[in-house]
Amino acid sequence: MKNRNNAWVGTADKNNDPKFNELATEEFVGLPIAETLSSETGIDTSSNRRDFLKYLGFGLGAATIAAGCETPLRRAIPYVEKPDAIVPGVATYYATSFVNGGDYASILVKTREGRPIKIEGNSLSSVSQGGTGARGQAMVLSLYDSERLKNAGKVADGAVTEMSWAELDREIGGKLSAGSQIRIVTHTVLSPTTKRVFQEFKNRYPNTEIVTYDPISSSALLEANESCFGLGVVPNYRFDNAQVILSFGADFMGTWISPEEYSIQYMKNRRIKDVKNPKMSRHIQVESGMSLTGSNADNRVRIRPSEMGGAIALLLNELGGGVSAPKINDKATAAIKKLALELQANIGKCLVVCGTNNVAHQVLVNKINDVLGSYGNTIKFDAPSYQRQGRDKNIRDLVRDMNAGSVDAVFVWNANPAYDIPDADKFKTGLAKVGTTVSFSTNMDETTALCGYVAPNHHNLESWGDAEPKKGHYSIIQPTISPLFNTRQAEETLLKWSGNNASYYDYLQSSWQSDMMAQQSSFLSFQAFWDNAVHDGVFEVASSNPAVVFNGNVSGAASQIKKPSTGLEVAFYETVNIGSGQYANNPWLQEMPDPIMRTVWGNYLSVPVEWDESSSQFIGKNNTGTKLVYGVADIVDLSVGNFKEPFTTIQQFGQDANTVSVGLGFGREVVGKAGQNVGKNVFPCLKIDENGNTQYYSEGSISEIIGKNREFGCVQYHHTFGVTGEHEGEEVKLDEVALSSLITDGYQGSLTDRTILFNSNLDGVDGLVKDIAKMKKVADHRNDATLYPYKEYQEEFYSQGHHWAIHVDMNACYGCGACTVACMAENNVPVVGNREVARHHEMTWLRIDRYFYGDAENPNTVYMPMMCQHCDNAPCENVCPVNATNHSSEGLNQMTYNRCVGTRYCANNCPYKVRRFNWLDYTSADLFGGNQNAINGEDPAYYTDNLVRMVLNPDVTVRSRGVIEKCSFCVQRIQQGKLTAKAEGRKLTDRDVTSACASACPTGAITFGDTNNKKGDLGQAIESPLVYRVFEEIGVQSSVFYQAKVINKKEGLDA
Amino acid sequence: MVYKSLIPRILFILSLMLVTISVQAEVSASSGKTLFKNNCASCHNKNMKDDLTGPALGGVQERWEGREELLYSWIRNSQAVIASGDEYAVNLYNKWNKALMNPFTNLTDDEVGSLLLYINNMYSAGCAEPPCEDAVPGGPAIAAEQTNNTPLYLTLMVILGILAVVLARIVSNLNHMVQTKEGNAPAQRATLVDMLTSKGMIAFVLFALVIFGGYTTVNNAINLNRMQGYAPDQPIKFSHATHAGLQQIDCQYCHDGARRSKHSVIPAANTCMNCHKAIKKGSQYGTAEITKIYASVGYDPATDKMIENYEDMDIDAIKKVYTDWIESNYRKDNSIEEGTALPKDGVEEVAAQWDGIVSSLTTDVKDHVSGPIPWVRIHNLPDHVYFNHAQHVTVGKQECQTCHGPVEEMELLYQYSPLSMGWCINCHRQTEVQFSGNEYYESYEMYHNQIKDGKREKVTVEEIGGLECQKCHY
Repeated sequence: MKNRNNAWVGTADKNNDPKFNELATEEFVGLPIAETLSSETGIDTSSNRRDFLKYLGFGLGAATIAAGCETPLRRAIPYVEKPDAIVPGVATYYATSFVNGGDYASILVKTREGRPIKIEGNSLSSVSQGGTGARGQAMVLSLYDSERLKNAGKVADGAVTEMSWAELDREIGGKLSAGSQIRIVTHTVLSPTTKRVFQEFKNRYPNTEIVTYDPISSSALLEANESCFGLGVVPNYRFDNAQVILSFGADFMGTWISPEEYSIQYMKNRRIKDVKNPKMSRHIQVESGMSLTGSNADNRVRIRPSEMGGAIALLLNELGGGVSAPKINDKATAAIKKLALELQANIGKCLVVCGTNNVAHQVLVNKINDVLGSYGNTIKFDAPSYQRQGRDKNIRDLVRDMNAGSVDAVFVWNANPAYDIPDADKFKTGLAKVGTTVSFSTNMDETTALCGYVAPNHHNLESWGDAEPKKGHYSIIQPTISPLFNTRQAEETLLKWSGNNASYYDYLQSSWQSDMMAQQSSFLSFQAFWDNAVHDGVFEVASSNPAVVFNGNVSGAASQIKKPSTGLEVAFYETVNIGSGQYANNPWLQEMPDPIMRTVWGNYLSVPVEWDESSSQFIGKNNTGTKLVYGVADIVDLSVGNFKEPFTTIQQFGQDANTVSVGLGFGREVVGKAGQNVGKNVFPCLKIDENGNTQYYSEGSISEIIGKNREFGCVQYHHTFGVTGEHEGEEVKLDEVALSSLITDGYQGSLTDRTILFNSNLDGVDGLVKDIAKMKKVADHRNDATLYPYKEYQEEFYSQGHHWAIHVDMNACYGCGACTVACMAENNVPVVGNREVARHHEMTWLRIDRYFYGDAENPNTVYMPMMCQHCDNAPCENVCPVNATNHSSEGLNQMTYNRCVGTRYCANNCPYKVRRFNWLDYTSADLFGGNQNAINGEDPAYYTDNLVRMVLNPDVTVRSRGVIEKCSFCVQRIQQGKLTAKAEGRKLTDRDVTSACASACPTGAITFGDTNNKKGDLGQAIESPLVYRVFEEIGVQSSVFYQAKVINKKEGLDA
Repeated sequence: MVYKSLIPRILFILSLMLVTISVQAEVSASSGKTLFKNNCASCHNKNMKDDLTGPALGGVQERWEGREELLYSWIRNSQAVIASGDEYAVNLYNKWNKALMNPFTNLTDDEVGSLLLYINNMYSAGCAEPPCEDAVPGGPAIAAEQTNNTPLYLTLMVILGILAVVLARIVSNLNHMVQTKEGNAPAQRATLVDMLTSKGMIAFVLFALVIFGGYTTVNNAINLNRMQGYAPDQPIKFSHATHAGLQQIDCQYCHDGARRSKHSVIPAANTCMNCHKAIKKGSQYGTAEITKIYASVGYDPATDKMIENYEDMDIDAIKKVYTDWIESNYRKDNSIEEGTALPKDGVEEVAAQWDGIVSSLTTDVKDHVSGPIPWVRIHNLPDHVYFNHAQHVTVGKQECQTCHGPVEEMELLYQYSPLSMGWCINCHRQTEVQFSGNEYYESYEMYHNQIKDGKREKVTVEEIGGLECQKCHY
């Protein structure tokens, strides 16, 4: 069958590494625990009969004592005065906004008994359109961070000496004078009212300047648009209007400006709606390392970062630009020449974006878009995005001024320049020369530790505020919980210092009354308008699309394009989860595997992979080309200028051969327990170009292998199925071996000559449909031979009431990981930390398997969300000795924790490898708390912190050590939805029940529903001929339906 | 034909019994109990021995001896008797501060008789219908249902034991005789002691002990932490009998979560205040208990106003507000003029009530009397159990009493049901789903068709998956 089983996950399986194959046959990695323990800590782990009797005696005694204790007195504390909005046990949702610098999503916050526990998307917003990324999903955890700053105070040596707010106001007031040179340093500010507050402060202190910068900067884009169109903004990109999308290094689905918005638009033209007449847009990515966006592209052109300018200029020339262009590598040249033809054939339907921070690049790309007729069609200026406003020049000027001693006071608003700029060292020396320094940070960070005072802001979920992510798209921030600590809204603090004693809530209202009220006509009274805005969370007004004329200096820009370098280049990129480091202290995001590398808790060095003829292996190469970098978790030194740090390598398919990549945002030194010293800080490696803009690549070199990472937190090869193996010199599928040598070798677990992936190119959809139909026929034939009376069950149980299922459209899934985090939040999935992940103990119920296929050196990617498949003939159920896992009449594979005795037979027997075992007490839910952490000298488990536990979903059991857990299809949501329908005496609809993963997915790749509701979304979706079930032929009758991946690849556009 | 002659006699006895029963139905302690509860219990103590708002009723017939008729009319309309100038009646009226007793003119002679019978029984024996069983707190309703078979088993065991010994003796005698006959008689017969200490016997006893011990251990282990009958003292002596029984307040007036939430919700103190703004003295405890609500929310009953900044108020200031209130009520009740010194009893009473307020409203984690009332939770489910009141109350249309028992009769609330899994499961097996009229259940087409075809009468919770693990555990 076409394209079946030619996919791979990494070098080890591609190379048929025998070690890996051995590992893959084991369900639970056989780490020599006893030996490790005894060698590391000197504990004697062997035991004899006497020990056994001792433990037995102790166990019995302890159990007796515990059982004999009196039942503790439990209190039931009611409210004194019950708020109308709260009914204990019933969730209340509030519309608010997730805003952090330029990151934005309009959200609904689920609160229980007054505490926020879950984030959902707000579909009323036309910007985020009901989507939330992983970062938005995880924001609720940062609220319950016990390391947040709790009081105003004086900072000395990184420690806060508490002071009252009144004292702080007095002291700061005494230090500022009307002529003070004050700088407010901030990342992008989306809030119009905050800007108004800044203005008010400026009125009082006229020498105040707002220094806006972004650590992952789009400064060049803003400057280019200013010079070309006179509008220094990010335009309103419309990926939904484009048929050909070309991205020069812009990771617009992962991190670039407004990734969820762009992904939603992008996916509108990427889903196969009509199989007979399939249509799709085409996406070409030009980049060096494999980005999330690049992994979703149809064609990828690999270049080194310094070739980017040459590539852009070349394309412009091919489109008739006539500019001078430095030569780039031959493969890329050929691809770009073909690409130009492709673009020319789609004038008016092309969109070219560029992610570099180089003004010349951006000007040329603007020209290309102009030539291709993109303006007005795929790029509009009607609702420009305000999500990147930072100009790198501002922060450069500030650093210069501070060092010159001409700044009297620096207020750090929502920024961390002592960490997240290339010249952080200069910033630090400069900051020491400033008389008054105040940080408004919610947490202690590198910059706050150097400030004189701290005036901690409320958390996003405790604040009032507003945001304007795009022009005319206003969004409300309302508090969902009373402030947990003695913090004060930063705007209110600033207003106080400007002599305005209004509360920020009043100020915000008056700001909306004067500015936003006038823009609408639906409401006559302000109160009604305001109530509606707070209720909806958003208020949107249309604005006109100004006609723009391209007026850029193309030849000037082209002349600035530099010749590519020849040595090894290091590309630095923003990661999907940690951003520029502002999310480093969020364990959910740290433990969310990177979509491409599938690593957790750190930044890793992606090294290119090449086919080596002599050894018939895929190898990684270092820059000298002589020493091989081969194997999993090798450590090498990365040198960039004076910077030299060891990094663990990842063999990265699709990485340009002359480059390595490494993520930004790690290696935070002052951040809190979770993020401290996780990974390495590579901001100092970044270079600044002649325009003052930060460049996200450098020349560098990597050393020979200097060691091996023994705690390699990469889930790439965990819970693997679908591997091939070598047996007696021939490549065989492991389960064939299992069949032939069942008695002697006893392979288990890994199935490969099985249905896992189906994919095709757009022109091969017909064949794909046939392939799937053929597979189904074979599978049905096999499955008919079952001894189980499946048909009977179906008639009697599954066709009655509900039968739950999930449909995953792998064309719409782009691997962002929002579902993973949403699942952790919804289902109290514990955070286990890097050491445990390295031991294959990650607990995530939903993993996103990432497969490469096609050309080995420049492959395409499929993302496959893999959760419990709720098989109606579940192999796990039959082997449980205590019936702790069994089937419900609604098709749910039920896991009953209180019955589980931890034999793990079920996990062993699960073909999909989706069951997780609680090896340790990750949540302190045990009667007798875990003691391993103390023995191993580790921090206590993350969820032992009482404040953090506030985030737990009270409807879901917190599992204790020794039980298996797995995806429940969000049974608590199912039950809640059913109850709502029952209580209202009506039929259940699609809207009543959805799983956390489905509701978090920005692009709607996951659909949850009832197969018995044939007219529902799910019932319709699973009718597509592209739908199949993983391992359909083994007769487990799973309930998760996958829709095959189709791409729109064009030959010759790869390089 | 002995039987024939017996039949008329039996019939005669039966009819006699019937007559007795029907006569008893007219004057009975049980109807007296109902009458007392409905009419008298708000002022007179149920134990008949202690005074409440009204005097203790125990021995009332002796006090009115020879004047039965006057007692009856006194009960129906005391004011009329006082007006008639009866010396005892007038003295009694004056002794009780001229507190009025409600007239109950509609009571019949039989009803008054029942009342008096009940009062007498309660006074002399401690229960409505003697002989009284030992009242087990929390368990009477259940205890009544279970008959005690232990004596029967014991008797059986003794008989079987004797039988075993006799049989063993017979066997040993027969053995001895056979041996004697065969000529190889042993020196002596096995004695009883020999038999009891024989290997077989010891093995049997050990075996029996292990079985019995294991059985008991398992049973007790299963019952660990099940708290049927749990009736802890509450910070406020809140009487469901008074509120739900006597006053007929709907359960869901206070427990307003039951219809829409998983929790039934312990009502907030402001729910209490809806009524207790007006009702400032309780029928049983006067100011002692209701003042606790005021002290919790910061309400000054003397001025009928909420106290400003109550949370920050000094404890002495709070004490003054509420002791003044208690004292003024004490003065009113005992006709002590303002300005005169409070007698020792009064001082003690006020102090005791204040101490009660402080100890009830403070716990080891809350040292200020302001704030929520720390009720003691009675119904505790393990953390891995999900229970939803709305599902049972709104959708399943279950009465509260099905699980919580006769709450309206409970002075002190106790856990009526075992709340064990077996108990839940049993109910789910038997209870019919409210199929009709709820469109939601239309997705169960098969059952609907079966009902239509007459093949099925009802659908139980079990049949729509009510016994599945993840209906309650997730």
